[in-house]
Amino acid sequence: MTTTAPATTTGARAGRAPALLDVEGLTVRFRLRDAVVHAVTDLRLTVHPGELLAVVGESGCGKSVLAHALLGLLPGNATVTGQARLHPPAGNPVDLLGCGERRLAREVRGRALGLVPQSPATALTPVRTGRRLLVETLRAYGHPRRDADPAADRLAVEVGLDPADLDRYPHELSGGMAQRLVTALALAPDPPLLLADEPTTGLDRPLVDHTLDLLRRRCDTGAAVLLITHDLAAARRVADTIAVMYASRIVEHRPAGALFDAPVHPYSAGLLDALPDRAFRPVPGHPPMLTDLPPGCAFAPRCERATDTCRTAPAPALPGPGRAACHHPLGAPA
Amino acid sequence: MTDLALPARLRRPLFRPGIVLASVVLVAAVAACLAAPLLWPLDESAVDLARTRLAPSWAHLAGTDDLGRDVAHRSLYGLRVSLLVGAVAALVAAGIGGLVGTVAATCGGRVDRALMRVVDTIAALPHLLLGIFIVAMLRPSLAAVILSIGLTHWLSTARIVRSELLSLRTRPFVDAAVAGGASRTRVLTRHLLPHVLPRIALATTLMVPHAVWHETALSFLGLGLPPHLASLGNMINDGQRSLLTGAWWASLVPGLLLVAVTLALAALTGRWRDRLDPRVRAELHL
Amino acid sequence: MTSALVAHQITVHYDRQRVLDRVDLRIAAGETVGLRGPSGSGKSTLARVLALLHAPDGGHVALDGQRLAGVRHRLPAAVRTRVAILFQSPRAATDPRLTLAELIAEPLRATGTPREAARARARELADLVGLTPDLLARRPHAVSDGQLQRACLARALVHRPGYLLCDEATAMLDASTQAHLAAVVTDYQRQHGAGVLLVSHDAALLTRWATRVVELPAGGRPTG
Repeated sequence: MTTTAPATTTGARAGRAPALLDVEGLTVRFRLRDAVVHAVTDLRLTVHPGELLAVVGESGCGKSVLAHALLGLLPGNATVTGQARLHPPAGNPVDLLGCGERRLAREVRGRALGLVPQSPATALTPVRTGRRLLVETLRAYGHPRRDADPAADRLAVEVGLDPADLDRYPHELSGGMAQRLVTALALAPDPPLLLADEPTTGLDRPLVDHTLDLLRRRCDTGAAVLLITHDLAAARRVADTIAVMYASRIVEHRPAGALFDAPVHPYSAGLLDALPDRAFRPVPGHPPMLTDLPPGCAFAPRCERATDTCRTAPAPALPGPGRAACHHPLGAPA
Repeated sequence: MTDLALPARLRRPLFRPGIVLASVVLVAAVAACLAAPLLWPLDESAVDLARTRLAPSWAHLAGTDDLGRDVAHRSLYGLRVSLLVGAVAALVAAGIGGLVGTVAATCGGRVDRALMRVVDTIAALPHLLLGIFIVAMLRPSLAAVILSIGLTHWLSTARIVRSELLSLRTRPFVDAAVAGGASRTRVLTRHLLPHVLPRIALATTLMVPHAVWHETALSFLGLGLPPHLASLGNMINDGQRSLLTGAWWASLVPGLLLVAVTLALAALTGRWRDRLDPRVRAELHL
Repeated sequence: MTSALVAHQITVHYDRQRVLDRVDLRIAAGETVGLRGPSGSGKSTLARVLALLHAPDGGHVALDGQRLAGVRHRLPAAVRTRVAILFQSPRAATDPRLTLAELIAEPLRATGTPREAARARARELADLVGLTPDLLARRPHAVSDGQLQRACLARALVHRPGYLLCDEATAMLDASTQAHLAAVVTDYQRQHGAGVLLVSHDAALLTRWATRVVELPAGGRPTG
């Protein structure tokens, strides 16, 4: 496995360009009949043009909710607070959480903020072929009719799909082919920021690598990607920056190389230790239920370094080469 | 969004104006059917030749027919009979369809092919004609009408059950049950049929308005319930003779009642289908 | 009698396409065989054939030296339950109507164990795979993929199978859950001398976990 993360260049980029996405204090709650789900808590992150940010964490830590909150696609029982400012290179800045459904639908979704969804099977209209879906999308975003067809072929090739397979209906596609088709659909409007929610589910290794490299190339040409994944190997392969999410909060947010070499938060360290090419040792204990988070640091019950101080919540992790959300970070005396 | 599974019921508004209206109509109609004996202690078929073809008034809200019977009173009894016939016939049809579909899917091979050819053949015939043929073979009676509707309306249920079972059977959770040692019967009863039952229930409710119409059509043609029994079909048929004499209410009232109640039923069952059908659900709430 | 699950010259076609061509594979008791290969090389099909769920078009499977005729319900439950399989997607592999407790106990109930005994064993196994008791009353939609796959592992071990086949079973899980499930399987294997097949595309995982790795080329025959 190669570490391609150009950790040193990220800081330079961050200094040069204004942030494309700037999320501040994002909090998402779901009301259930008898409980409240704390899905995302006081989350801060920034994404710069050219940056590939990977949000990693266990399933159920809230990372998928983050993507849906940014796109305004949460169900009716969700309450969202905080700010998420998107500064598209062409066009006015927009607060994703406050601008209303109309503006999201007209100016943001697809155009400024693309989504590669998690379950491609339910994201595709069953009665249209892949080609029709792709051509419709291209046309909807202002592509001239004449060369929509060849453009669809080019996109298919780009995501690793045989153009002949575009003439099939969604149910005739394998899971991996459907995944590549939704990736092509998300890329069609060429959005400056792409949210990729587990984009490699159901793909085998070569295709996983192909898709990841595709996302990487987009960033190298100036676009940005927010990659949500459970797969640390994937994050290591392509990400500039990694945000580790645990129990609804980002606990560490750092350049990928630095995180993999010397994690600061004990949870990040535990997650890395669980990799098969490291100690292959699970993090002890269980993640808490999002309906029943302990007061203070949510990781404390599983943490060797926990003390009485951990009953109060640590300061949130800051974006960039900042601190981890921990009272007793690694590298500092315990 | 699999990260956080939310109960599906939280994702959509429960009440819409059309649904509320349909519920009110249906509840009112059923309540009126049940309350009819209290409102009119007399026999609904009591003939009173002194009061024939009276126009609607406070004494007779929907007027009287050419035998002096109260139309409102009789319509409610007719609706009662029609709903009962519709519900029982729909259950009979669901039972036959469920059984045929299950046998076809589980036996497979020649049995499956033979049963499905039978289904195709019956589906190719006009079902009202077939229904008439069945009643004509028997003596017109409640049982004959129910049988006639049941025997002509099971085809779609059989097809649904068969195709659902065939597709469920290939799912990994069935593999897991087989590998875990479950017998054929247990796989069918514990892992397959429980998933199909809501679909059968749904098909049954969707069929009730059809069955009511079918009963009405048979009765209208004089092949349904015996003429002295109040049924919506009989009443519409009787009433059409009065039309020429200007007594429009004798046909119109039972006719409107039929339309209102079957539309309300269809609206409610259609709503239920939307909530059950995973494809519609996915489109509505992704 | 040899303690092994053996695939002999397995050939499988789907429609007219040949997916497996005279493939031999042997999983001896106590060993962990890794199986890798590109997409479409028939890894999952081979796992299903070995799990006695898919009838091959050619060749046969032998269990502990006994050649098996037929698959699925043609085999007695006692034979079927000797081999357990764990799929990639725990959601597809679980009946959404059952609670996790019922899910784990189901194979025991299916083979005639009384309710209380089955429940007790389910609780024991839930503890083994790291499921907290409060999760057992939930249905699959209310738990995460990782928790559901733990329940699937508990269900797979409920009959104490001699062979456990993991078809990309940890591909959808985070590193910590993957490492924990691997530890549970390894412990079980040590205690019961079970043979394990790991179908995976993750080279690091196979290197770490498998005792030997077999490569299955596309539509071809295995080497290694």
